[in-house]
Amino acid sequence: MSYAEIFQPRRQDGKIQVHWLDFVVIAAVAAAVWYVYIQVNTVLHYNWDWNTIPVYIFRWDVEEGRWVQNLIVQGFFITIRLSIWSIVAAAILGTIFGLFRVSPSLFLRLLGRAYVEFVRNMPPLVFIFIFYFFLSDQIMPLIGADDFVHHASPTAISIVEVLFGQANLFANFLSGLMCLALFEGAYVTEIVRAGIQSVPRGQWEAGTSIGLNRFQLLRYVVMPQAIQKIVPPLCNQFIQTIKDSSIVSLISIQELTFLSVEVAVSTTRVFEVWITAAVIYFVICWGLARLFAKLEVRMAASRG
Amino acid sequence: MVAPAGVNPAEINLIRRIVLGRKGQKSPLIDIAQVIALGAGMIWLTLQGAQSMGYNWQWYRVPKYFWRVVDGELIWGEFVHGVLVTLEIAAWAVLISIGVGLVTALFKMSNSLAGRVLAVTYLEVIRNTPLLVQIYLMYFVISPIIGIDRLWTGIIALALYEGSFAAEIIRAGIQSVERGQWEASASIGLTQRDTYRYVVLPQAIPIMLPPLTGLFVNLIKHSSIVSVIAIFDLTTEGRNIIADTFLSFEIWFTVAAIYLSMTITLSSVVNYMEYRIRKRSW
Repeated sequence: MSYAEIFQPRRQDGKIQVHWLDFVVIAAVAAAVWYVYIQVNTVLHYNWDWNTIPVYIFRWDVEEGRWVQNLIVQGFFITIRLSIWSIVAAAILGTIFGLFRVSPSLFLRLLGRAYVEFVRNMPPLVFIFIFYFFLSDQIMPLIGADDFVHHASPTAISIVEVLFGQANLFANFLSGLMCLALFEGAYVTEIVRAGIQSVPRGQWEAGTSIGLNRFQLLRYVVMPQAIQKIVPPLCNQFIQTIKDSSIVSLISIQELTFLSVEVAVSTTRVFEVWITAAVIYFVICWGLARLFAKLEVRMAASRG
Repeated sequence: MVAPAGVNPAEINLIRRIVLGRKGQKSPLIDIAQVIALGAGMIWLTLQGAQSMGYNWQWYRVPKYFWRVVDGELIWGEFVHGVLVTLEIAAWAVLISIGVGLVTALFKMSNSLAGRVLAVTYLEVIRNTPLLVQIYLMYFVISPIIGIDRLWTGIIALALYEGSFAAEIIRAGIQSVERGQWEASASIGLTQRDTYRYVVLPQAIPIMLPPLTGLFVNLIKHSSIVSVIAIFDLTTEGRNIIADTFLSFEIWFTVAAIYLSMTITLSSVVNYMEYRIRKRSW
């Protein structure tokens, strides 16, 4: 339900009705606000100091003589980069495993099922800790992320900086990305499977009867129809990815939550920092949710 | 082939199909063997990888964290305590989240503007912020203000998070009751409360039960996140043992296995309940 709908009067004559519940709710909310106000100002004696926060969003660099982004904005961009790359990787992974899930081969079906059940039944925290130990110890040296950054040309470095954030944190970023992609991949797998299975059986049969092989069947008949069912939930999964990306702060990936912890510790302005972080996440996710909902309506309308 | 006495020929066919496969197809046993081989291969790779980094496997040190016997007395270990705390958190949180969800669902469907605004604001805030940030916000901001201890901070944060899912489950359950049922209750003169009490909820609750059990599974999973505020649940116990012993792989695998066994068991209960309901309604 969107806010526009809430304010729709429910009576036929168009008047907004006043219900007894209105008074109860307003009284309860007012009491809660008053209680918090009293507690913060007279019991805790908390000194609000919102002036600290803007400094951590943008700061004046004396050496360069210009405004540069500080920790919170850096964290924001890392979160966005991390989420975009993770959902891209998860979409690839999810398409592969989603096709496994509907494959005629029992082996591939079991493989897809095992992956999905394994990830979805494991606490995200435990999953990320286990994979982090592997990634940092095994895979990172194997693909040589650190070596790459040390020996890369300045042009390559600047490309890396645009795409993945600070170059010296490239390996760190990559391990967060892999954890998140493997995690979200399981959810995308189920989205892809549901999309493919939503294509009516008759389409498969018709395709087979004109002599298409399995690849052609998927390429020309099934996937073009399935993709319409896959895209909207995939967009929602992107929002979910932004939220889940906060968990990788626990393995020291320097995104918004991690840097918020740092700012909160170094400034001791705990209330302000956490409220700011929550508001930033809310604005991104809520904005995207509204945007995707609008696009979905438009897509449905254009399809007729 | 003549079936031996007392054996159903259809059963023999089924067994033959499982072992040999359908005509012209390979047996499913081959696929299952492939999966097992793949699993074994992955375990082997893990062990190899661990060996190449000089990891010293010490599985024999793990069992004592389940229980140990000292002087003929049984002492439960850290894992058992952790599981109990995890279950305690999940149990309290699921009860509170059902309450929160019920109130939210009723507010959202009510005729009261303030009620709807409150319900939707709550849902949007919870859905559009990460659970971890909610926990931090709860721990650093809300809990000093209202003065609750750490365990209850975790429980309430989780309950508020899952409450948004509970609200959807309850709303869907109530709305799955056909319109005719409402109209019939109205026509025999039941009040709104009696309609809920005698007509709608008795039909809606069986539909809600499987997803609400699923909520409990989710809570067991998500409760691991309260380890960031140092509540002694299974994950925290695991982290503490690792800090003491450096057995990172053994302990993380054990912790994961414990979580998996809890969640998969409960998930299969959910599947069974859904199956029962589907069977009854058709």
